Amino acid sequence: MIEVSDLTVRFGGVKPLDAMSVTFDTGTCGLIGPNGAGKTTFFNVMSGFVKPAAGRVHAFGDDLLRMPHFRRARWGLRRTFQTEQAIEGLSVLDNVAMIWEHAKHEGRGKRDEDVRGALSFVGLEVDPAAKVGTLGARERRLVEVARAVVGRPRVVLLDEPAAGLSDEETDHLGAVIRAIPEHMDALVVLVDHDMTLVSACCENTAVLDFGKLIAAGPTAAVLRDERVVKAYLGTEEVL
Amino acid sequence: MTVPALLGLPSWEFFKPFIVTGLALGGVYAVSGVGMVVLYQTTGVLNLAFGAVGAMGAFIAWELNNNTSLPDWIGYLACIGFGGVVTLLYGVAFGPPLAGRDALTKAVATLGLALILLGAMSWIWTDKARSLDLPTTNSGFEVGGVMVNWTQVIAVGFGVVMTVVTIVFLRHTRTGTAMRALADDREITATLGVPVRRVEASAWLVSGLVSGAAGLLLANLVGLDAATLTFLVISALAATLIARLSSVALTLAAGFIVGLVNAMVTPILSISQYRDMTPFVLATIALLWVSRKDIRVTGLR
Amino acid sequence: MSLDRPARIHAGVIVALLAFLVLALPSMLSAYWVDVTTSVVIYAVVALGLGLLMGRVGLVSLGQIAILGLGAWVAARLTYATSLPYPIVLLLAGAMSAVLGTLVGLPALRLSGLFLALITLMLAGAITVVLTTTQFPNGGPGFLGHTDSSLGSNAIRRPAVASSDTGYFRYTTLVAVLMFGVVVLHLRSKAGRAWAAIRQSEASALAAGVNITRYKLWALALASFITGIAGGLLAGSVGKLYIVQFPISGNILLLAAVLMGGIYTLWGAVAAGLLIKLLPALLDNWGLPPDLLTILFGVGILQVLITAPEGIAVQLPRDLGRLAGLLSRPFQRNQAAREEAP
Repeated sequence: MIEVSDLTVRFGGVKPLDAMSVTFDTGTCGLIGPNGAGKTTFFNVMSGFVKPAAGRVHAFGDDLLRMPHFRRARWGLRRTFQTEQAIEGLSVLDNVAMIWEHAKHEGRGKRDEDVRGALSFVGLEVDPAAKVGTLGARERRLVEVARAVVGRPRVVLLDEPAAGLSDEETDHLGAVIRAIPEHMDALVVLVDHDMTLVSACCENTAVLDFGKLIAAGPTAAVLRDERVVKAYLGTEEVL
Repeated sequence: MTVPALLGLPSWEFFKPFIVTGLALGGVYAVSGVGMVVLYQTTGVLNLAFGAVGAMGAFIAWELNNNTSLPDWIGYLACIGFGGVVTLLYGVAFGPPLAGRDALTKAVATLGLALILLGAMSWIWTDKARSLDLPTTNSGFEVGGVMVNWTQVIAVGFGVVMTVVTIVFLRHTRTGTAMRALADDREITATLGVPVRRVEASAWLVSGLVSGAAGLLLANLVGLDAATLTFLVISALAATLIARLSSVALTLAAGFIVGLVNAMVTPILSISQYRDMTPFVLATIALLWVSRKDIRVTGLR
Repeated sequence: MSLDRPARIHAGVIVALLAFLVLALPSMLSAYWVDVTTSVVIYAVVALGLGLLMGRVGLVSLGQIAILGLGAWVAARLTYATSLPYPIVLLLAGAMSAVLGTLVGLPALRLSGLFLALITLMLAGAITVVLTTTQFPNGGPGFLGHTDSSLGSNAIRRPAVASSDTGYFRYTTLVAVLMFGVVVLHLRSKAGRAWAAIRQSEASALAAGVNITRYKLWALALASFITGIAGGLLAGSVGKLYIVQFPISGNILLLAAVLMGGIYTLWGAVAAGLLIKLLPALLDNWGLPPDLLTILFGVGILQVLITAPEGIAVQLPRDLGRLAGLLSRPFQRNQAAREEAP
């Protein structure tokens, strides 16, 4: 469970996050909102790239904000980025192994096992020794997701993982995402604009607009909520 | 027993002439630093060839003054003009292709220019010992028992005047405001209809002219030697680092401090030979101080 | 660990080249050229360190030649003052250099790459000033070990097994191979992966749990370490050290050579060594001024940064490959024509 209380971020005169309070319970949780609502800023606060002006984030009882950013990965925080960030110069195996190395301290045998497990979990069927730079967009996204689920993650943040994927690829990704909480015993927060994907994966969804939480609850209900529709359309009229 | 004597230092009398030389050199470091800071903030380029450009200009002045029958002032003008032209040409030719790269890459590129100039100087003029005469060095006056020549006065004055002019320029002219805008946010400024290329060219030209003038003064105050003059940029750099590459006024103060400390160490015989480490020591202290507060380098002030 | 075919060919080429270098080459060269080749090997190690910093971690150091001088100083001092075996002397020179490199990096790393480059430039200035005053050990007394009297006429000692110029060349090559090996091991390890992540994107490296400061310092320490060892090798090679061998401009020339040789491959370090030490010797041989090289290096920096950031070591094989492709096309056309003919 992640408890966010009164999270506020200030950049000059702008407040990308404005006293945001929300609780993510278990399983896969959606986080949606129009462009500029503050979703990526929230992820950046979680990752430690942005220092909030106020507020707290408690994940599974631990005060996340007090940890230095690079330690959060060891704690079990994983994240994917909007523009995928798998390391081009390294092989698929090295990319995933790297995450494992900085998170756990067990022997090498267990590492290779866990890495292969993560790769087969996401359904990636390429030669693990292949350099990521030679792979296509879909494979690279899957490598990123594999990095996000290897080695006992506790919180997985996925930032628009389906961007640029075809419908079929998105479906496959959705199946993988749905399986994460149970297989990896982790909590997933999914940010995406593809409402089909969000509906398919997330039991509950929270909605941000101008840095504030405007709705939270079961996904289907939230997507029909008047306030949410207004936020996306930016108009008073109901279509 | 005076305080200096207690500390094992020479008496105050010995320091006095070094205060003068220190201030004079400090003035040149300061003006060089200001030129570099304004250029850096406007274009993102920290011009490490600043010293080399000035050095070559000084050599050209020497050549014109000693090997031709042209009047001396033409040589001095040529030095300053050379600084402006070469720097502007570099900026126009190599600014755009590197515009999107990070500050480190741009700075390393200027090292390319520095090497080209160093090689050219060494080739054309070789390593013979030379000196560059300025008419202002021959006359001076006495202050508090120390001799001060007019070149030193010019050096100090140049530093102060240029800094004040720069601060006023940045705040009250259109081009100056454009430079500050570029320093704050390049992309937005470009979309505001500011003639970016022209503003940048002005920055290149003016900083080049300053480097020419600085080279002229240094060649006279320190000596006409390619390597020495080129690497005096390190002292100016120290001043800019202390000012966190953003504050013009702070660069002025830092320049004088670097010059003064460097000179004042000279009469302290025990460490005199190490006095050229001053810029390094001062800059390191400044960096340690800044990194402790974890301050980001800010826009141009 | 089984290697696939290209890797095996690559390894085979390297072994053959090394065998030629160590066994056959010295007897083919005059004493002067053996000396030059030794310098090429030594500076290839220095270039390896800087190339590692620039290509794998994205850091620029403008003080590597100063660290080379420091390593040489330490090695010289130890050989005069003690009878430690040469490998220990080298290791100590490397260790001291590593300590200095790390100390210098500490304050600047958290700020930005530009600040680190500048602080290393100032370090170069500082070390040069100190070495100009203290000069290099030459058998004299005291901590500094320098004397102006004729007592200081003994050359720096060499290892007993490698006292001849040819023998020392082989010894140097062996140590150089070891240094390359150390770097390769690093690149294949956890540190290498962390460096690759840092170079691509510091944000994603942080998100992956990489302690960026620690790994940057580690790279600095490693680069300084191998440069210090190169300094020790240099001390034994030249026998007498003078500050003119380590000018401040040398730091910039090294940077140029490393950029031109290529910072993304290990061969680039070899290319850089050739650029720094073989070219000047050739120019001298042909009666051309060494300043030409300075100008060439300056142009090289600009060219590499603007057009071919991967450097000659990648560009040249690529160009050669393209050339080979062009040359073989007529033969391919004939082949196709023959196959089509009834």
